Amino acid sequence: MINIQDIRDTARDMLAKGEVRTVIGYRRGSRGMPAEPAFITSPEQADELIWDPTCYHNLSLYLVHDSKIQAHLRKDTGAPIGIIAKGCDARSVVVLMQEHYFKREDVYIIGVSCEGTGVLDERKLAAQLNGVQPTLAAFDGDDFVITTAEGEKRLSARDVMADRCLECRTPFPKEHNAVFGEDKTGRQLAEPFAALTRFEAQASSERWDIWSHHFDRCMRCFACRSVCPMCYCEECVVDSITFPVTAQTSAAEKADRVRWIERSATRSENITYLLTRAMHLAGRCTDCGECDRACPVNIPIRMLNNKMEREAREKFGFEPGASIGGSSLVASFLDSDPGEFIR
Amino acid sequence: MEKILEKKRIDDWIAALAAKSQGEWEVHAPALQDGIWTYQPVSGAARLDHPNTRQSPKEFAFPQREVYFSFEQIKGEPPKLTQILPKETRHAVFGVRPCDGRGVPRMDKVFNDHVEDTYYTTRRRNVAYVGLACNKPPNATCFCLSVGGSPVSTDGLDVQMTDLGDRYFVKAITETGKALMMAGGNLLAEAAAADQKQVKQVHADAVAYPQRKINDPDGAPAKLKANFKSPLWEEMARACIGCGICTFLCPTCHCFDINDEVQNKAPLKGQRVRTWDNCQFPDFTMHSSGHNPRENTGDRLRQRVNHKFQYFHENFGMHQCTGCGRCVSECPVGIDIVAVVNKVTEHVG
Repeated sequence: MINIQDIRDTARDMLAKGEVRTVIGYRRGSRGMPAEPAFITSPEQADELIWDPTCYHNLSLYLVHDSKIQAHLRKDTGAPIGIIAKGCDARSVVVLMQEHYFKREDVYIIGVSCEGTGVLDERKLAAQLNGVQPTLAAFDGDDFVITTAEGEKRLSARDVMADRCLECRTPFPKEHNAVFGEDKTGRQLAEPFAALTRFEAQASSERWDIWSHHFDRCMRCFACRSVCPMCYCEECVVDSITFPVTAQTSAAEKADRVRWIERSATRSENITYLLTRAMHLAGRCTDCGECDRACPVNIPIRMLNNKMEREAREKFGFEPGASIGGSSLVASFLDSDPGEFIR
Repeated sequence: MEKILEKKRIDDWIAALAAKSQGEWEVHAPALQDGIWTYQPVSGAARLDHPNTRQSPKEFAFPQREVYFSFEQIKGEPPKLTQILPKETRHAVFGVRPCDGRGVPRMDKVFNDHVEDTYYTTRRRNVAYVGLACNKPPNATCFCLSVGGSPVSTDGLDVQMTDLGDRYFVKAITETGKALMMAGGNLLAEAAAADQKQVKQVHADAVAYPQRKINDPDGAPAKLKANFKSPLWEEMARACIGCGICTFLCPTCHCFDINDEVQNKAPLKGQRVRTWDNCQFPDFTMHSSGHNPRENTGDRLRQRVNHKFQYFHENFGMHQCTGCGRCVSECPVGIDIVAVVNKVTEHVG
């Protein structure tokens, strides 16, 4: 079991020695749970760091933010940036390196193993608590201990864990500079793609009805895109301006710009948005599940990405974020590629 | 007008409202669907046991998409514009919580004060809000008492209902509310003195229930103004991902964008539409030169908070925030408007 004090000591020590300029980790939120992202820049702040089953966030998003800010300021990054990363998060960091978003030496990965469990799914927890509001959650072996206004409650982690954690094949950050917790790779609590497989057992007409219903509900708040470390494009297909505007850009060019997706949150536009995003994540999504968690109207977005991930795995034996030196799915060509669909 | 309605008779009341003679109301009530509470059309059965809906009821007067007019240009002919006004269908929205009720007059200030927005006012005059008082705060993130509201506020409502266990205490707030209650006929019985006494007690208990607190709401406008350039903003918005959850779920956020949606190029045919926009999107303030005056998440967080607690207050003499807590509970990265306002107002700079 991970002792948070060990992580704090590591962070404090590295900040004191100037070996990292910031440690991106988790701290207690203003309401207790969930945890929130923390940007620790001085050794004294290291004690704010926490590790509990509400450390959902894939913090590699903030490596992307940091790179953008550094590029904008045209500053030499200096010391690397430290990041606390779970298995899935570390794989995202690897994908970003494969795509040359930053270099290995720019990042100091403080890995944390999810060991026998993973993170909470607050929707599953709410169903278990029946209206009682949770204020804290803690790991305890195979259980989560939840603090509520009505006292402590011990729940089997398997009953309230996120689907993606149940199905996770690698709950250990293979790529790391330091790592905490035991490697329990292979502990898999559910079959990979179990939720997707359950969904796909339905007839295509039923699946269409379900997804049409979800596409109609999307409000296009773009939380799924904004929370995703892989959605780093400077100009996104859904934004009102999808090309760089300079002083030389004419009024006509601006007025006649191609709008791939209208702003109206209607079915056709929402489908185009959500499916474009899913396609762009093929071979890149490491199933951190943040899009799914962030969605305020509970659209099962993870399922779209999961579908692409399974295609990549079954057709090409591809695992996103497996190794830095590995090729990327869409940028590699295999002589053995059957390519039946383009003949 | 104060009446008593047996809980099991609410379905009959709702059914009565749909009758042509009673105004042909389309009734909406919160329903649990896909794991969240949303307003759904109901013809009878309605359960008002929701904490609050995930999305506010602002959509009834201010939908996410509003068509202004359609346009058509046939070569050699003058362009043809056809205004498309909302239908005059009457909507009765049940189960509106007091915070969301207080959102209504705030939206009215924006769309029907200095200028009258025809689209908004057409919808607005056809909506009746049937509120449900909060006997205790339904969510841990509630803070209505800090922003001049109350769990039993009637502001913006046409009818206020209070849960008394096996029955509702139903009170008319407006003439529209009276008409809705009259439509119920004998279903609504005269409230007795004992009912009056009970509802008084329930309301007193509701107000006494502890909530999260903004420490100095009255001092907020001046202090936010003084801290406009504070480095706190950048620090507090460091984790902000720039999504639209906080504003889209907010009962009083009202910013919009206008676009021409072209359906056909030759002959040119399409619609001009208004859609919700969002001050947290990086391109919200993007100038056509490429310059962005609110470039960072800190600038954008400040805009949202200052609009709620300074600019709106300067313009209309009230805080725009009604303390529903949606932006707090649904922010994926824990940005908390209560904590933000407290931090800025307590900052000595």
